[in-house]
Amino acid sequence: MTAWILFVLVAFGTLVSAVMVVRTADLVRAVLWLAASLVATAGLYALLDAGFLAAMQLLLYTGGIITLMLFAVMLVRRGPEAPTAGLIANPGRALTASLAVFGLVAFTVAEAGLPTEPGAGGSPSAKLLGQVLLGPLALPFEALSVLLLAAMVGAIALARRKDPEE
Amino acid sequence: MNGPPLEAWLALSAALFAVGLFGVLTRKNLVAILLGVELMANAANLNMVALGHFRGTPFGQAAALFSIALTVAEVVVGLAIVVLLARTHKSVDADAPSEMQG
Amino acid sequence: MIELAMVPVFLPLATFGVLAVLWPLRHSGMPAAWLSVASALASCVAAILAWTGAPVAGEPAQGMVFDWLVHDGKTIAEVGFRLDAISAPMLVVVTFVAACVQVYSLGYMAHEPRPALGRYFAWHSLFIVAMSGMVLAPNMLQFLACWELVGLCSYLLIGFYWDKPSAGRAAVKAVWVTRFADIGLMSGVVLLYVTTGGFAFEMTGDSGAATLVAALLFCGVMGKSAQVPLHVWLPDAMEGPTPVSALLHAATMVAAGVFLVVRAWPIFEAAPPVLTAMTWIGAVTALVAACTALVQHDIKKVLAYSTCSQLGYMVAALGTGSFFGGYFHLTTHAFFKALLFLAAGSVIHAVGTNDLREMGGLAKKTKLTAGLFILGALALAGVPPLSGFFSKDLVLEELLHAHAYGPLLICLAAAGLTAFYMTRVVCMAFLGPASARSLEAHESPPVMLLPMGALALTAAVAGFTTGRFGNDVALAPWHFAVTAPGVAALLLALGGIALAYMKYGQGKLAGLGVPALAAFIRSGPVDGLFVRGWQQGLRPLAGVVGWVDRYVVDGAVNLFGWAALVGSERMRVLQSGKLRDATYLLVMGALVVVAWGAIGGVR
Repeated sequence: MTAWILFVLVAFGTLVSAVMVVRTADLVRAVLWLAASLVATAGLYALLDAGFLAAMQLLLYTGGIITLMLFAVMLVRRGPEAPTAGLIANPGRALTASLAVFGLVAFTVAEAGLPTEPGAGGSPSAKLLGQVLLGPLALPFEALSVLLLAAMVGAIALARRKDPEE
Repeated sequence: MNGPPLEAWLALSAALFAVGLFGVLTRKNLVAILLGVELMANAANLNMVALGHFRGTPFGQAAALFSIALTVAEVVVGLAIVVLLARTHKSVDADAPSEMQG
Repeated sequence: MIELAMVPVFLPLATFGVLAVLWPLRHSGMPAAWLSVASALASCVAAILAWTGAPVAGEPAQGMVFDWLVHDGKTIAEVGFRLDAISAPMLVVVTFVAACVQVYSLGYMAHEPRPALGRYFAWHSLFIVAMSGMVLAPNMLQFLACWELVGLCSYLLIGFYWDKPSAGRAAVKAVWVTRFADIGLMSGVVLLYVTTGGFAFEMTGDSGAATLVAALLFCGVMGKSAQVPLHVWLPDAMEGPTPVSALLHAATMVAAGVFLVVRAWPIFEAAPPVLTAMTWIGAVTALVAACTALVQHDIKKVLAYSTCSQLGYMVAALGTGSFFGGYFHLTTHAFFKALLFLAAGSVIHAVGTNDLREMGGLAKKTKLTAGLFILGALALAGVPPLSGFFSKDLVLEELLHAHAYGPLLICLAAAGLTAFYMTRVVCMAFLGPASARSLEAHESPPVMLLPMGALALTAAVAGFTTGRFGNDVALAPWHFAVTAPGVAALLLALGGIALAYMKYGQGKLAGLGVPALAAFIRSGPVDGLFVRGWQQGLRPLAGVVGWVDRYVVDGAVNLFGWAALVGSERMRVLQSGKLRDATYLLVMGALVVVAWGAIGGVR
């Protein structure tokens, strides 16, 4: 029973924050609302017995990405946004697309026969997770570090100011 | 009943994904579009973790972990591009770079 | 003998080839002319010699043929030469008149610029090739090919004067009308092949097929031999040089239609309805053309309509079921009509105009020309002992023998008119007071008078060759008696001469004639009918067809282009270059693909 109540509360928070992200005019507020949504998601992970992941979520997402976003917002200071224009002159089309996506997923989920009870073994412990990461998933793990390096180098290469003679 | 069934979790993640998509399609500011992308990625992570939990496999969380890392990398490069665009077009309007028109 | 018969084909062909390729020779003027004249004279001699050794009626033909169209091992058509009792005399006539005309041209065309002169003689040589090839053709296919080639030469020579737009128009008109007639001709040849499996001059199978083939072939005859109503090109063809008018449009080319009927006689023999039609068409042509000749002011046009009228005689004679009359009249007519044209050319050369009203009293100044012209006129009128009398008599006898009384009476009337209008011309040109132009006239040089003399000789004596001709083609005895129609025609002719002399020579009988009718006839009513038919019939139809072609056919094709253009214009909107639009399309596309897979898979 409590699981349900908690779920509903946190889920509601996540959703509301997400909606506010896409609807506020002020960019900084949008970033903050995103932070709220990510924190709520960490809570959802906790409800799924994924403690390690919840911690990682907080560290990386809310810590790292939100910081990055705020820096970016500072670098490209702009006021409140102008109304939308272009192909999506009204949010109607975007709404249609979003609802279509949601409907599609819902339909697929409903048609698939999925287990309704948590599986045996539940959510893995951090220990098990570590064993998996450094065992069967060792190669992707290492590759990931290379990827991060590449991303860093790429970002620097893209964003640095060029010398006049280049 | 123990808790919400898998369908509820999946519905939630689908809803979050839809909201993120709406943001991507609606917003004019490039950074705001990236925020929408973040929401979508986040929803996907939730999806994977939920499925992993209900199927009793660690690979759900592992995948989500990888996804988080990848998302970080993606945000880094994406923001670098935004900065570059802001510098060249003197604007972060998503409609500003339109050299590919026609 | 067959080798001699091939000379008129190959020698002028070589001449033409040389003149066509070696342009310095062609541009040299008189040398080119002499070359052509030499080959024409040699061809004439060869043809005469071939005639003496040619087979007569009943004997098999001499031939030299080569396989041309072969299908499944069976020869469908051959190309080559066939010398027999029918082709030999015609070959002589063609080459003789051609030679005379070419010699005459040395004088008549002497003042032409040199390149034009070479061109003129080159085409004359080509004409001899084409005409000989047609006369000696062993089958209908080669005949048709040479028929068209002859038509080409006609076009080239009518339109010889490049600086006269009317000449070009006349040449095209000739091609138009004969081409139109040739639709029937070619259909007939095709039908001949379909029904008999070959192109030979014979007909197997039922008479219905023969009638159809003969009728179609006769369409071509009507065009080429200027039968009403397809005669309208012949007067216009007078735009060409007078020697050309003499050779092509009096003696030989227009007679090709008549010759076709004679050549393909087995086909026509098997089609009695066509023969009956021919008697009527020929007779009507004879009368209508004679009436038209009556009111012309241009001397060449009088002769042109006269030719048309005489061709009507030939066709009517052929329709009686015996081809001899028509064939014989063809040969005599070739001689005296060519003579008349050359003499008319001599007159034109002397006074510098074609208009009869500006001539007069030329008999004093140009005695020889006048005498030769009058001789030709008398031959045409049918006065004995000139050849015209014999051949016209034969024609009328055949009509009587075939009980074709209607055509007979019409032809008799035409005979009277013929004498009348020829006398009119003689009076207006040669007799009476001299006009201003006539006073400055001079006689033509001998190079022009000699051919005229040769033709006059043949026009005079050809009537007595029926013996030889008779041996050639096996005539019945009644052909040689002078009978009632002949006498009647003679009396009408003499009466016509007298009347015309009284009106035009002495100035009496001024009230004879209907000026309004004359003006009407001169205005070319048949031409007017054709023009009206074109304007009110064909042109609207062509407009409709053109509209369909432009908007339906082209429209269908253009539709694709237009669709591509408009479609791409519409699609271009999608390429706004904006990030969000691309994202939207991406999302929708992915949605469609995933949905398709998901729903398809689930089902």
